[in-house]
Amino acid sequence: MTSNFPAKIEALQRDALHIRRNVWRALHAAGSGHMGGSSSAADLLAALYFHYLRQRPDEPEWPGRDRFVLSKGHANAALGAALARAGFIDDSVLDQFYAYQSSFGMHPDIKMPGVEMSTGGLGHGLSVGLGMALGARMQNMDFRTCVMLGDGELQEGSNWEGAMAAAHLGVSNLTAILDYNKVQQSGHVGEMLDLEPMADKWTAFGWAVREIDGHDMEAIVEALDALPLAPDKPSLIIAHTVKGKGVSFAEDTYLWHNNLVTDEVYGRALEELGEAE
Amino acid sequence: MNDAQRPGLERPEWERLAENQSRLAFGLAVGELARRDSQVVAISADTIDLFGLRGFLESNPDRLIEAGIAEQNAMGIASGLATTGMRPILCGYAPFITARSLEQLRNDVAYAHQRVVIGAACGGIVLAMAGGTHHAVEDLAIMRNMPNMTVIVPADARQTWHAALQTEQLDGPSYIRLGGKFEEPPVTDIAADFRIGQADLLRPGGDVTVIACGCLVAPAIAAADALASSGIAVRVLNMHTIKPLDREAVLAAAAETGAIVTAEEHRITGGLGGAVAELLAREQPTRMRMIGLPDEFAIVGPTAKVREHYGLDQQAIMDACRDLLA
Repeated sequence: MTSNFPAKIEALQRDALHIRRNVWRALHAAGSGHMGGSSSAADLLAALYFHYLRQRPDEPEWPGRDRFVLSKGHANAALGAALARAGFIDDSVLDQFYAYQSSFGMHPDIKMPGVEMSTGGLGHGLSVGLGMALGARMQNMDFRTCVMLGDGELQEGSNWEGAMAAAHLGVSNLTAILDYNKVQQSGHVGEMLDLEPMADKWTAFGWAVREIDGHDMEAIVEALDALPLAPDKPSLIIAHTVKGKGVSFAEDTYLWHNNLVTDEVYGRALEELGEAE
Repeated sequence: MNDAQRPGLERPEWERLAENQSRLAFGLAVGELARRDSQVVAISADTIDLFGLRGFLESNPDRLIEAGIAEQNAMGIASGLATTGMRPILCGYAPFITARSLEQLRNDVAYAHQRVVIGAACGGIVLAMAGGTHHAVEDLAIMRNMPNMTVIVPADARQTWHAALQTEQLDGPSYIRLGGKFEEPPVTDIAADFRIGQADLLRPGGDVTVIACGCLVAPAIAAADALASSGIAVRVLNMHTIKPLDREAVLAAAAETGAIVTAEEHRITGGLGGAVAELLAREQPTRMRMIGLPDEFAIVGPTAKVREHYGLDQQAIMDACRDLLA
């Protein structure tokens, strides 16, 4: 750990705050949106885009780039905020959320620079990411693939096909990051269709698993720096997060999975989040 | 005894069989494509022997991914591979690779516009004895409605070879519907010119046109030849590419013969007949008869008997032609 590590962590925390504020900005521009899952993922996205992923925003199709797939596509506002801050897209795009003919809709569109796969239908990203990881291995390329999963979407069986195959094929260049915020559209995950014991399931499927606090930037960075968690297995980081993190009235409730963002709501959210710089 | 020495295996003969079984011709083409392009990779959904890929796997173990009986994952892997510049060829059963993995096919492949080739064996009612779970008689309707998708139903094994090789030139995804484990009569010449999107004119008649695809092409030719002796000149088009449809060939047939019969092993809604009818309704309303399966789940039985039951044969095509000319 270098001596500037605390400064690095503080910078990433500022990136995360920037993403959160821009999530609310995009949703306010659209009038509504998925603040809950976008806010829970903000710290993870900040660490990915501003610490871990090797990418070239001015050359988004660079073949050697690390791939990131947002399988929980409804958190696209957060992805767009990260892509804008990283320089893949212009900051003004964030005001075009849901807009007529916009490249920035509710869900990621592969046509937007920096977006590696169109997602939104749940339970797709892990298999696509597995294909990317296999593409790297077959072409002797050293890029890494990260897939961000939502917890609710793990109720889709396709994920478990992908999990089984990734372990069977031994793709250590594939990492899944679970934004485990415990809330889905209609209630708490544990009450809707429980996924526990989460770590045991993935371990049994042949993955190397680490659990962290998904809002502890130091822990996130340490986990990413430890990848791959095993030499010949895919890695899973279970990041325990809070739905709607950072805005008290939106935290840990399905009511703010996707909701209207009026001027008043927007003002209160920004006030709670605080200034970015 | 090792597996290769066991009696009753098809593998020692499979290259010979590829001459008249489209699924095996497709498998041969996978090997040829892989030989030409190091980015080509086959994906099996527990379909290695269905496509005759055992030999390919043995000589190219790194170029075939066995995804198991998990079509959703197989389709997602194909999409992900394609994004990295690989040329995945997904080998599946027509009823499962369309319906089971439909959302992955729509989102990850068609919507994301990835160059994935889908070989779909046992299309139509090839597996008639297996029941409705194994019939693929809505696949063309599904695939036709996918933007960016090329949809091909080769008339025989030879045409399958050409179609598979020409997918090299496509910029987007493609679907090639194939037969099953029995012989398909050759109806095209191995040296015949084949171009995706361009119908084959097999008989030049001017009284009525039969537009057929897949296993209905042979009965269409037989019907035309039989009607010729009654003085009826039947034009026969092998419409191997359902999408993009050869508009010029259809419109010329409508203008020059004034009556059209479509014939396909698919429900009459949404497939070849649907594509032709939609075009003609817009551009040149023409009297039609559509031969295919009705709006019901097909009965069980030997494929030939079930085809006969639903009138997927020469006699039905002749009757439809006569009906239009009456």
